Amino acid sequence: MIARVSDIDRMFDAMGLFRGRFDRLFDEFNRSVGYAPGWSSVAGYPRTNLYDKGDHFEMVAEVPGLSKEDLNVKIQGNYLEISGKREIKVPEGYRVHRGERGSESFTRSLTLPADVDSGKVSATLRDGLLTLALPKSEAAKPRQISIK
Amino acid sequence: MDGKDLTKKDKGAVESTRNLRQVVPVVDIYENNDEILLHAEMPGVTKDHITVNIDNGTLTLSGVRSLTRGGAAEWEEFGDVEYQRAFSVPQSIDVNKVNAELKDGILALHLPKSEAAKPRTVKIQAG
Repeated sequence: MIARVSDIDRMFDAMGLFRGRFDRLFDEFNRSVGYAPGWSSVAGYPRTNLYDKGDHFEMVAEVPGLSKEDLNVKIQGNYLEISGKREIKVPEGYRVHRGERGSESFTRSLTLPADVDSGKVSATLRDGLLTLALPKSEAAKPRQISIK
Repeated sequence: MDGKDLTKKDKGAVESTRNLRQVVPVVDIYENNDEILLHAEMPGVTKDHITVNIDNGTLTLSGVRSLTRGGAAEWEEFGDVEYQRAFSVPQSIDVNKVNAELKDGILALHLPKSEAAKPRTVKIQAG
């Protein structure tokens, strides 16, 4: 039984370490910036930011190494889907020492807070960031109410 | 206890004064007879905000991302970070000829080998 108790002690030690790690993780999370290692299941790939700019939404997605041919964006009402394929090609004649970047195809569906006018959406790709300007549909736009 | 360790480590680091979150960029490293080629993922970093430093056999990459924001954030899954990573480079790299390019958020760093380090085929003379 005594052996068991020391086992339990050890287990709690390990849990303490774990908790320290978690505490830090939440610190990082609260700052809501950057990667939270091990916490990636919260967000899909690619990671996105969404800002409400009054008459339109702006969405930014991290898509390093992708060209515009590799990306597809589908919009219907308040439903948005980003899909694409990333292929890592080894440059010809080179040997691989380290390959941390993987090839993958991905699809991410997102629900926007309001309907957007899919006909007026514009997209730009720069420095590995995809920026979408999503004009809200007329009904969803903020309106100035005049008081009579 | 854990915290004490951390403070000790932080003291020496220059970055401890900065509040930017540090992130290790993922890299691919390739090699051929002429050079070592490194690809590092740094989405959102512009070329003015990248520093590549080679000193005493250590290559340090640093890229700072400052995103432009506006409006109310509905959600934010990534933010301003400093991508930072260090590698040890072999002596055989010709430091003066190192060059880098940035495309689509990927930094490509070419590290040419010095002439002496390139593989050579030795001709065997007929006796």
